[in-house]
Amino acid sequence: MHKAALGYIRAVDAVNHRIGRIVMYGIFVLMGILLWSSFSKTFLNPTLWTLEMAQFAMVAYYILGGPYSIQMGSNVRMDLLYGNWSLRKKAWVDLFTVLFLIFYLGVLLYGAIASTAYSLGYWGSEPMSFFAGLITGSEEIGRTERSPTAWRPYLWPIKTVMIVGIFLMLLQCTSELLKDILRLKGETI
Amino acid sequence: MPYELIATLMFATMMLMLLTGQRVFGAIGFVAVVAALLLWGDRGGYDLGFAAAMKLMKWYPLLTLPMFIFMGYVLSESKIADDLYKMFHVWMGGLRGGLAVGTIGLMVLISAMNGLSVAGMAIGATIALPELLKRGYDKRMVTGVIQAGSSLGILVPPSVVLVLYSMIARQPVGQLWLAGVIPGLMMAAMFVAYIVIRCRMNPGLGPVLDQSDRNMPMADKLKLLRAGLLPLVIFAIMMVPFINGWTSLVESSAIGALAAFMAAVFKGRMTREVFENSVRNTLGITCMFMWIILAALAFGAVFDGLGAVKAIESVFTDRLNLNPWVILILMQLSFIIMGTFLDDTAMLVIVAPLYVPLVAALGFDLIWYGILYTITTQIAYMTPPFGYNLFLMRAMAPPEIALRDIYASITPFVLVMVLALTLVMIFPGIATWLPNYVYGK
Amino acid sequence: QSQIKWRMQTYAGAALAEHVIDPAIKMFNTIAGDRMQIELFYADQLVPTGELFQAMQRGTIDAVQSDDDSMASPTEVTVFGGYFPFASRYSLDVPVLFNQYGLNEIWDEEYSAVGVKHISAGAWDPCHFATKDPIRSLADLEGKRIFTFPTAGRFMSQFGVVPVNLPWEDIEVAVQTGELDGIAWSGITEDYTVGWADVTNYFLTNNISGAWAGSFFANMERWNELPEDLQTLFRVCCDQSHYYRQWWYWGGEANLRVNGDKLQLTTIPDEEWATVESAAREFWEEIAAESPTKRKVVDIIKKYNEDMEKAGRPYRYT
Ligand code: NA
Ligand code: NA
Repeated sequence: MHKAALGYIRAVDAVNHRIGRIVMYGIFVLMGILLWSSFSKTFLNPTLWTLEMAQFAMVAYYILGGPYSIQMGSNVRMDLLYGNWSLRKKAWVDLFTVLFLIFYLGVLLYGAIASTAYSLGYWGSEPMSFFAGLITGSEEIGRTERSPTAWRPYLWPIKTVMIVGIFLMLLQCTSELLKDILRLKGETI
Repeated sequence: MPYELIATLMFATMMLMLLTGQRVFGAIGFVAVVAALLLWGDRGGYDLGFAAAMKLMKWYPLLTLPMFIFMGYVLSESKIADDLYKMFHVWMGGLRGGLAVGTIGLMVLISAMNGLSVAGMAIGATIALPELLKRGYDKRMVTGVIQAGSSLGILVPPSVVLVLYSMIARQPVGQLWLAGVIPGLMMAAMFVAYIVIRCRMNPGLGPVLDQSDRNMPMADKLKLLRAGLLPLVIFAIMMVPFINGWTSLVESSAIGALAAFMAAVFKGRMTREVFENSVRNTLGITCMFMWIILAALAFGAVFDGLGAVKAIESVFTDRLNLNPWVILILMQLSFIIMGTFLDDTAMLVIVAPLYVPLVAALGFDLIWYGILYTITTQIAYMTPPFGYNLFLMRAMAPPEIALRDIYASITPFVLVMVLALTLVMIFPGIATWLPNYVYGK
Repeated sequence: QSQIKWRMQTYAGAALAEHVIDPAIKMFNTIAGDRMQIELFYADQLVPTGELFQAMQRGTIDAVQSDDDSMASPTEVTVFGGYFPFASRYSLDVPVLFNQYGLNEIWDEEYSAVGVKHISAGAWDPCHFATKDPIRSLADLEGKRIFTFPTAGRFMSQFGVVPVNLPWEDIEVAVQTGELDGIAWSGITEDYTVGWADVTNYFLTNNISGAWAGSFFANMERWNELPEDLQTLFRVCCDQSHYYRQWWYWGGEANLRVNGDKLQLTTIPDEEWATVESAAREFWEEIAAESPTKRKVVDIIKKYNEDMEKAGRPYRYT
């Protein structure tokens, strides 16, 4: 049990660490898109795609980078009380409150899945069964959603990125939960 | 259950959740989605949380956020502000409290190069603080100087808080930024006045520097002034094309980030370590902000769905039937009180949408109110228990500075800020003159 | 029996909604009283406009006022909502096309297929450019970043216009911060009403469509749950909203051209503008080739415009 938990923690943390280390260079992608936008506007013709592309890049940056930011402890907590607690007490309280965070992420994930199903042309109210159907072949991709702009990019790719990011965020939070449990059992992590 | 009661319940639950110490975005997001599910669960309430993500994607001014954060980290990590500090050190050291005065000057220049207070805090705590302590400055005074000075980062343009406010109040960022210039300089001048007066009354707080410490030929002294050019150049590279409409807001922020990066490269300060820290911390802080805003937007949508804006408007205007100025003052007060308990960014995204329509309905100028709002946010940044500058100070301060020193240090500066707030309220021209002049309203 | 509550979101912001939807909803609520109340939300308030359709389909929102194009409806008729270039010359053209030329039936079929009730279509204002710099020839359009409807933007991009899509409420600020050079989203009445006339200087009198086409929609289940008299009342109030816009815009456009002092009028000569009109005919064919339904709608639009030309004055002067 211990071993399984530790293995899970290590695996999740390693994956998210690696993804975060890659995504953090997205700042230069974002900068490049915006600089190209001002360059092309000044010297060539303004481009159709820069603003939207920058928005997509930003979404990928903060959603996929989210788990790594949790690892770094960047997400602030209100520590009026929390700050004065012992490590053990913090672990006890976190053990419960992280469930709230997990619940929020779960709802977010479900919304992302439903929205992605919509962007692949599914109008019904059972997005999970739609994706299951896609795999078994009983459902097929319908009218794909495009952004209502002149550039008209498909929206499913960025929505899929969001599904992946929120899912990784969920994994990271469950890893944090397991860490707290192990801490309470007296292990050092 | 009446909607007002639900809204109040949501707010109270959120505060309670925050007290548990869970990550701020988790606490807010949880309350938002649970409320949405309970209210509209049978009718798609589950997708409000994610709809907020799509809304956030379209909030294009937030693209400036990582740019300004990156700029700040490049400035503080690469220590290109060292020269600046030396400049103030030599030129101001002869004055009683001169180093503290110089630190305020340093903070103003750093504020002009980045949009948050983080960079000012980092530079203040790593460069200025040790020097000041070494030279016998009072620790409470200097901690306060650095916290207060760095809070100018969000008032002097560029400012991320004003970008967020502009999104919510739907006012042009250019005018808001310009509106922050004079109040920012005025507040800096008031800090300086306070330091000078205090040190005159009690010379032990800020002793004059030894002659040997600042003895150098006049030519060298003049050369040091060149350090002051860098911030002005970076500021101009970013602001001139923006104010003239040659580049858009988000493009300007990218140009500013590039300018700061190039400055560090040319000065030979962009080491591997500086690069790594800047890039990594930019991701961390951007994620912190974005996830909080994401959760707060969902919370705000539910609030909006409950008609909280109209409810607050009717409480203030119909039920209490108050004078507009009384309402305005009450709003500022409630904001300061909430600011002591709530996360500052979340507060901006949740509370500002409730207040701004009311301010507009009362007939006040929303550019001017943006400045009042920002000064209040500055105060919130410094007041315990919840404030970014407090957090940062605690994390960065040397061990001889205890928590109670940090708490005690801010009192006089908060009073000065409240005075500045009052002045801007009484004389709106302090904020509105410059934008009106530049944009020729 | 408990009161029925609906949430409705419009794609108009508060300033515009005061004219184009608030009166109709107030009227509905007054008459329906204890039986039913509609809570109205403005552009992007509850959900972003891009997500509006999904939200209505799932029932987060019960009813919507929007054009098909802006809310990105997943139907074959989306491109015809908003401003389909040069499809109509006057605002009366729109209800005639829907009620007498068969568009109602096509819309009904399309929306029923995706679980949404199409209640009725109406006309808004013509589509003109309001810009910071003057437009006096087609060459002046080159490189201008313009907030406009998706289909109108797709069409105008062949003349060098760079269409930009932003949340409606952010447009005024985007013009001020340099994200936009102008707007091609409305007639002059709206430019004044929503504040765009304060941030732009010039108004181009040539339009790319004489009237906007937009509709009221409802979640199908919610609609079917309504008793028949409330359905009728809702329809009547929608029609009242259509009627209000007919005279508000028609009179407003003329009045502000003549008496408005914020925007200077410019015109592209008719011969030059004819290039745009003939490009529109090609665009129609391009769209029609995309699907049989689109072909059907384009044919109706063509037939209608031919009839109007044959009818002569006052229907058409050229
Ligand atoms: Na600043
Ligand atoms: Na605070």
